[in-house]
Amino acid sequence: MVKQTYLCNKHIALNAKMVDFAGWYMPVQYTSIIEEHKTVRENVGLFDVSHMGEVFVFGKDATQFLNSIVPQNIDKLEYEKAVYCQLPKENGGLIDDLIIYKLGIESYLVICNASRVEDDVNWFSINKKDYDVSIDNQSHNYSLLAIQGPKAIDLMRKMGYQYENQKSFTIKPAVIEGIKLLASRTGYTGEDGFELLFENKYAQYLWDKILEQGEEFGIKPIGLGARDTLRLEAGLHLYGNDLDENTTSVEAGLSWSVPKDKQADYNGKSVIMEQLSNGVSKKLIGLEMLDRNIPRHGYDIYYNGEKIGTVTSGCVSPSTGKNIAMGYVKNLPEICTDTTVQIMIREKLHDAKIVKRPFIQKRNRV
Amino acid sequence: MSFKEEMLCSNSHEYVVKDGNAYTIGLTDYAIEQLGDIVFLELPSVGDSFGKGETFANIESVKAASEIYMPIAGEIIEVNEELVDAPEKLNEDCYEGGWLVKISSNSYQQDSEDLMTYDDYKAELE
Repeated sequence: MVKQTYLCNKHIALNAKMVDFAGWYMPVQYTSIIEEHKTVRENVGLFDVSHMGEVFVFGKDATQFLNSIVPQNIDKLEYEKAVYCQLPKENGGLIDDLIIYKLGIESYLVICNASRVEDDVNWFSINKKDYDVSIDNQSHNYSLLAIQGPKAIDLMRKMGYQYENQKSFTIKPAVIEGIKLLASRTGYTGEDGFELLFENKYAQYLWDKILEQGEEFGIKPIGLGARDTLRLEAGLHLYGNDLDENTTSVEAGLSWSVPKDKQADYNGKSVIMEQLSNGVSKKLIGLEMLDRNIPRHGYDIYYNGEKIGTVTSGCVSPSTGKNIAMGYVKNLPEICTDTTVQIMIREKLHDAKIVKRPFIQKRNRV
Repeated sequence: MSFKEEMLCSNSHEYVVKDGNAYTIGLTDYAIEQLGDIVFLELPSVGDSFGKGETFANIESVKAASEIYMPIAGEIIEVNEELVDAPEKLNEDCYEGGWLVKISSNSYQQDSEDLMTYDDYKAELE
């Protein structure tokens, strides 16, 4: 049975093209992916991301428990701060990537990918052991809206947001348009923005209110199609494409989110530490095509006539017009930035250059 | 008769219109709308021959790549080169200015038997 968010009727009324995504009936585009993408880069966009999972973790040992399942130092996470991390198995392969928010003393919110919520919760239960901790999957009770773009802050201010100076990767209880919710300054677009978490019953009211109040800032509803091109330009990984149970944090180029000095043990630590010291056999690279062909998920990457890897995400970058991709290749010293490789597209090899990620300049963040 | 009244459509959303001794081939507005923003188009060369149902071109939107099939067999006699450089024009017009190729064919009669009028094609979609 395909699930629907509490905003499904709104999407249909807006004439959105709907698709099945991770078991959810979701809007892929309302008007045009390119137009929606540019709206977020230039003004502000509204995303229904209620398919994402929300799991509350609390109890006497909550910090210790989370610290034992992710590479980040959860014991150093401050109140109202958030941290991006991965959920590795013993062999370092990834079950999911997450954002963990500290809501209070021994109280956390974990945001999971829609397709992974059940696996994550299972994994939490397996690893709960003797920790005194409650794992409360509230995904079905909460809606999540993302307001993203350079004018997101103007819109939030207009809607009565109290914390103008809220830092990136923090979360605060707030009141927006009279609704009590959690506002975090995070997103998946490479732009400044907010994600608002609240009970399902407010979803329709807030959706309409945000679109109405955002009109003067050029707001548009944004579908999953533009969400994908926005995150790829920003060099952000998509679980299922760029991350899975066969990739580790180090191979994925996420070593920055793996503290080397962490004392506590966690699943996969020995593999991750070994890879940090001795290197990895495959690595994630950014690619830019040198012709008009578009690299797509699953296309093979060649170097000197030999297959060296596979594209995991690719698209036309609506901001630059270039055709960009991420993929995994053998970790050879000659395969580095500016190296020209080839991608097999429709049985022909096409040149692509290895480039640094992100593919667009990072915006000023607060 | 208008372009739409003259054309015959395939199940896979290609159209063919008789144009003197030649046949103009393209994609229906429904297909273009389903694809979304068109960002890439690869057309064959003049002189290439294809059977009915064979892939003769490739099209990509932001979201996906698709093949385009010959609604009738024939030989390519003209290619809409302008579209290859600006495939986004297909989102505005996939008929008069947005045709893909013109072909010569001597099997129109038999190959067009399973093609539909635009009205029947639209009805089939609903």
